[in-house]
Amino acid sequence: MNKSDINNSHMDNPAKPRTAIKLILLLVGAVPLLAGCWDTKDINHRSLPVIMGISLTEENQYKVFLDIPATNETSSVNIVSETGDTINDIIDDISMNMETQVDLLHLKIVIADKNVARRGMEDIISAFNRSRDISSKTLLAISDQPLDQFFSDMEAKSEQNGSIIYDYFEKNAGWNPQLADTRVWQMFRSIHSYTHDVIVPIIRSGQSTSIECLGAAIIKNGRMTGQIGTDETLVANAFYGKSAFGKIEVMDSATVQITSNRLSHHSWLQDGKPYLRSHLRLKVTILDSRGHPTETQIKEKLEELLTLRLNKMFRKTQKEQADILALGQYFRKHLTREQLQDWRSGYYPNLDFKLRITTVVENRGNLKHL
Amino acid sequence: MELKESLAAYFKENADYFHVEIRLLQYEVQIIGLDSLVDLPQSIASLQTQTSNLVHASLQPAALLKILGKLIEPKLEAIVPEIIKGNLILFEPKSGTCSAVLPISKNVTRSVTSPETENTLYGASSAFQEDINTNIGILRKHCSGGSMQVETYKVGKNCPKSLLLIYHENRVAPRLLHSVQAKIKAGRDQEVDHIQQLGNILGVNPWSFVPNFNMTEMPQNAAHSLQQGKIVLMIDRYPFAIILPSLIMDMFCLKDDYNYALPFMYLIRFLRIVGALIATIIPGLYVALVSVNPEVLRLQLALSIANSRQDVPYPAFVETLLLLIVLELILEASVRLPKSVGPTITMVGGIILGQAAVSAKLVSNLLIIVLAGTTIASLRLSDFRTR
Repeated sequence: MNKSDINNSHMDNPAKPRTAIKLILLLVGAVPLLAGCWDTKDINHRSLPVIMGISLTEENQYKVFLDIPATNETSSVNIVSETGDTINDIIDDISMNMETQVDLLHLKIVIADKNVARRGMEDIISAFNRSRDISSKTLLAISDQPLDQFFSDMEAKSEQNGSIIYDYFEKNAGWNPQLADTRVWQMFRSIHSYTHDVIVPIIRSGQSTSIECLGAAIIKNGRMTGQIGTDETLVANAFYGKSAFGKIEVMDSATVQITSNRLSHHSWLQDGKPYLRSHLRLKVTILDSRGHPTETQIKEKLEELLTLRLNKMFRKTQKEQADILALGQYFRKHLTREQLQDWRSGYYPNLDFKLRITTVVENRGNLKHL
Repeated sequence: MELKESLAAYFKENADYFHVEIRLLQYEVQIIGLDSLVDLPQSIASLQTQTSNLVHASLQPAALLKILGKLIEPKLEAIVPEIIKGNLILFEPKSGTCSAVLPISKNVTRSVTSPETENTLYGASSAFQEDINTNIGILRKHCSGGSMQVETYKVGKNCPKSLLLIYHENRVAPRLLHSVQAKIKAGRDQEVDHIQQLGNILGVNPWSFVPNFNMTEMPQNAAHSLQQGKIVLMIDRYPFAIILPSLIMDMFCLKDDYNYALPFMYLIRFLRIVGALIATIIPGLYVALVSVNPEVLRLQLALSIANSRQDVPYPAFVETLLLLIVLELILEASVRLPKSVGPTITMVGGIILGQAAVSAKLVSNLLIIVLAGTTIASLRLSDFRTR
């Protein structure tokens, strides 16, 4: 034990800090390369339009309306519009003239003026698909009234809430099966497919409610060719499998609600004429009845009514050569690609289509007697 | 009297050195020791009780001292370490015999208390403390089987300490045991005052962010680790057991979990893992969602975030960094502060991180929530150091 050799062995095992220091310096040096972190705009410096309206001016220019929910307490919605030759050009102009950057990432609904829809929306849809910021899930709608009118009505009505139209179409909020539900990608598919057409809801600002639905437009190759009512839209939605909780009035005797539906098809081709037999199985529940109809009566009437509506709609689309039920899909295995090219004009008008409907009344609405 | 003088010279700077003469049987015996470690009156009384029944046997001084303690060479080099250890030196000058006696020592250790750094809901709540023998005793109570082995190593040159290597003979992997033994033997000359030095002896990377060994204050955790075949190291005057090796799941699993029903145990562990992920991901996710990819947010949420960020001058990145630093400062301060000043920090920190920063438009409302979530989630981990 010697007093002199105290405290000289504290640093006896210095770990190798050199490589670690080098590594840290390298990482710090790499920070400026993280270019993705700099050119970003915070959310409060962006405008997030929810609705875009597109109409045509008399000079054949596009006029774009943007409905931007406000992020401050004083107002609830901001509507801006601009005219120009292309959609992106207009958006750029609006962005330039606003204090924030217009960011179409949150765009939920595109409302086209009826004139635009009649003239064809192919250019618009491909512009949407080219631009990376518009989601292909964006909903489409057609306005029955001039968009100036429509948007000024919306602005007046959305004092508390800036997202009325958005909620109107939202599946977990205001959507009903009487409303067609078509997205940008479906429209794009309809433009480029031989066998697939779509329906797009037609809306206008309502009297007591904010929005009124007038039915749906038949869109063939991106162009509006005709119109169907809300009842027929419900049948079409049932055919698409989107009818849950839609209500149908059966003549004068009862109203039923569809709780679920299943569909099966059988298709064949004979002497160049397409045949399709479909079977729609519905489960319904009775909401109200007048008099005392029997269950069988309700079933018969419901089946009759649905068949009637569908046939009416089917014949209309046959006349317009727009395959909105996408029945051509069931003939893809029977026809060659060249033949499919003529599906709309050559085969579809001759299609022999019979729909058999089976209804199961699941319950009588918690009452024992009808 | 050469020895007495040289001892006095050696310890002249030490006020607690004592040197008294007493009479044991017929001999004048000198008692040497350190007052701070030896309870002198009690020890003398004990020595006299022991010798009182030897009155009739006429013993030589060497035989007497041998009965009382361990005979050692009457040389400075042999005596000094014994004194420093806290032993009592008996010296009979006439015959020149000298012995080191285990005295009644002064109690310089706190009693066994409940743990301060860990909490247990259902489990034993006595904690390790500074005295290494007490610690082994507690540990032996927890591992009542016979296969627990305790190896002692003296490490350090200037200030030697005992380092205990504890393992379960039947459970431990021999390769692990041999490598730890070899490393301790090779590093015997190095001091172990703290965990970094222990890490140096064991050859772990000192720059690693992940702890290479777990530390626990609770004997049942150490006992459980021994059962699992791990090695426990203990250093004298260090009230923690150091458990080797540390596995990733040790961050999420505790011995205490086994006291819950099985489904709850798995749920709690799952929550801890989720907590770790949240703590690491959320601040970055906030910046990403707010300034780079706001399209991921739902529209309503995006609008309300935009609303809450109105007039905030800094970009989200700077904002988050700023508040994270404040948060870490508060955490560090509240760990370090004495308990009497602690509430001040809690209060002031609460004000800064609470409404004030938001009303001053320095940060957004949501960020406060995000950071609160981060802190809570990060503290869910079983070990504070892994944060």
